[in-house]
Amino acid sequence: MGSAAAETASKAAEIIAGVARETGGSGPGARGAAAQAIALAERLATLSNVDAQVFSAALDALAHGSPDLKSRLEEAAAVPVEIAQKAADVAEAGLHVAERCDGQMRADAAGAAALAAGAALAAANLVRVNLALPADDERVRRAFAAAEDARYAALQALDAGP
Amino acid sequence: MFDRAVAGDADLVRRCLSGEPGAWDDLVSLYSRYVYAIVTQGYRLSGPDAEDAFQDVFLRVYDRLATLRDPDSIRPWIAQLTRRVCLDRVARKDEPPPAELESVDATIDELDEAFAVREALGRLSGDCQEVLDRFFCRDESYRTIGQELGIPAGTIASRISRCLAKLKEQLDA
Repeated sequence: MGSAAAETASKAAEIIAGVARETGGSGPGARGAAAQAIALAERLATLSNVDAQVFSAALDALAHGSPDLKSRLEEAAAVPVEIAQKAADVAEAGLHVAERCDGQMRADAAGAAALAAGAALAAANLVRVNLALPADDERVRRAFAAAEDARYAALQALDAGP
Repeated sequence: MFDRAVAGDADLVRRCLSGEPGAWDDLVSLYSRYVYAIVTQGYRLSGPDAEDAFQDVFLRVYDRLATLRDPDSIRPWIAQLTRRVCLDRVARKDEPPPAELESVDATIDELDEAFAVREALGRLSGDCQEVLDRFFCRDESYRTIGQELGIPAGTIASRISRCLAKLKEQLDA
């Protein structure tokens, strides 16, 4: 699930980069927005692979009652926190582009921001259900703060114009 | 650190050749990462081989700097010296050269590009350097950048875009 969230947010970032490039031509603002979205897409694609590895290691430790189970579970929680934060950045980048792009492409940017917000919430929920973390853990708080940032940005993007 | 953005390559060469105190330290400081990257990433030398090659390069630079025709071309000149030193070391080994050597030119092109970006970045305002470094190099989130710099998180994307535009202007200049 963490990998799916990361891949979703990565795809959303690619869409935002595409809108920025298409609508902004060679303008400096558009190029800057595209560069940020591309950087986020690449980072999230990497996080997708990392999440698959740490989750697999945690499952393995759980199945075998490994003595390093707790540390494996904590590693498995750290990656979704980062996915949630990066997805929130994608939603913010989506808002940035939706507010400035050609109206014909605004729906794509706003939709991508909404996808990223969904991914951020899914990732935050993975942190919450992690067996190693108490409900009031700082990582859970950070992940949901990111999900809330993403939701707010996506709603603004969806409201940015027709 | 020596401010290359202000002084330029030709001035650095002139300072070295006139024996100005600290000039050679500035030159080594400026190009050490570049040379080391060519040695280790381009020619895959490591350990004592890499250290010896690194020292050989700067010895040759010291010996031959006066023969450099165009002081503004010191970087490609150092790159060429580094290539020769590394090829000598690879040829001296009994083992065949690694297959990766075929892509040395591409690696050096990438290093040149990275070096140019780093130089251009050094000419930006401190605020722009900070925000670009945090987002692209330190991989910090908009929220973290905003909190650390006391900037509203919702304005970070715009700020990065503006700073990237300034960076592009510097690269094109």
